[in-house]
Amino acid sequence: MDFFQTRKQYFLVPVNEDNRRCIEGVIGGTDYNQSKVNQWTASVVEHSLTHLVKQGRPFKYIVNCTIMQKSGAGLHTANSCYWDTATDGSCTVRWENRTMYCVVSVFAVAVAL
Amino acid sequence: MINVLQQQTNRFKSAIVKECVREIVRERLSGLRYDPEEVPELSRSLAEGIKDKVKDAGFDRYKLVVQVVIGEQRGQGVKMSSRCLWDADTDSYAEDVFINDSLFCVVAIFGIYYY
Repeated sequence: MDFFQTRKQYFLVPVNEDNRRCIEGVIGGTDYNQSKVNQWTASVVEHSLTHLVKQGRPFKYIVNCTIMQKSGAGLHTANSCYWDTATDGSCTVRWENRTMYCVVSVFAVAVAL
Repeated sequence: MINVLQQQTNRFKSAIVKECVREIVRERLSGLRYDPEEVPELSRSLAEGIKDKVKDAGFDRYKLVVQVVIGEQRGQGVKMSSRCLWDADTDSYAEDVFINDSLFCVVAIFGIYYY
């Protein structure tokens, strides 16, 4: 479980689970297909964002999805953030099947109200 | 009150940030070959370096999120997408892609205004 904390409140948000379900829903059981990958990444990202928005928390969100065909090549992702560590947070989910890797990152930045 | 603050702000300008990012990436990655031992550290330090440089570029009151993806080039297909829920008046992003025959590198940097 990952935490998103706002000022004095602690919310336990199972963001990882939601993201995994979004990915499964869009590309679970399919093989890498170049003509469809555009629409897959767009779907995964839109579904993730919709789930997050439904929770109604005072955050701005950035959702990022990378899909890569499995070819024996390596892939590394790194993030660096300049923000308020007390209120802002991120989480990343890695998913794979036989033919592709999918990495989804969610960044949540608190809105000061 | 918020409108007055925005007028005094230096807006997150994509073109300027993109130039910053381009310089750093080309300086650090030109001529480099993909090495699985070094790339984890390289991607981490590239992200930190880009974040520090953009922070010094003078965008006050902007929180920054920098994402760096480095992969080995073997002719495979890769696609990266982002969606954001933010204030389109104040928030923005910049991106850069670098490819050589051994590796590819995608950098996405997002600037979120702190009211």
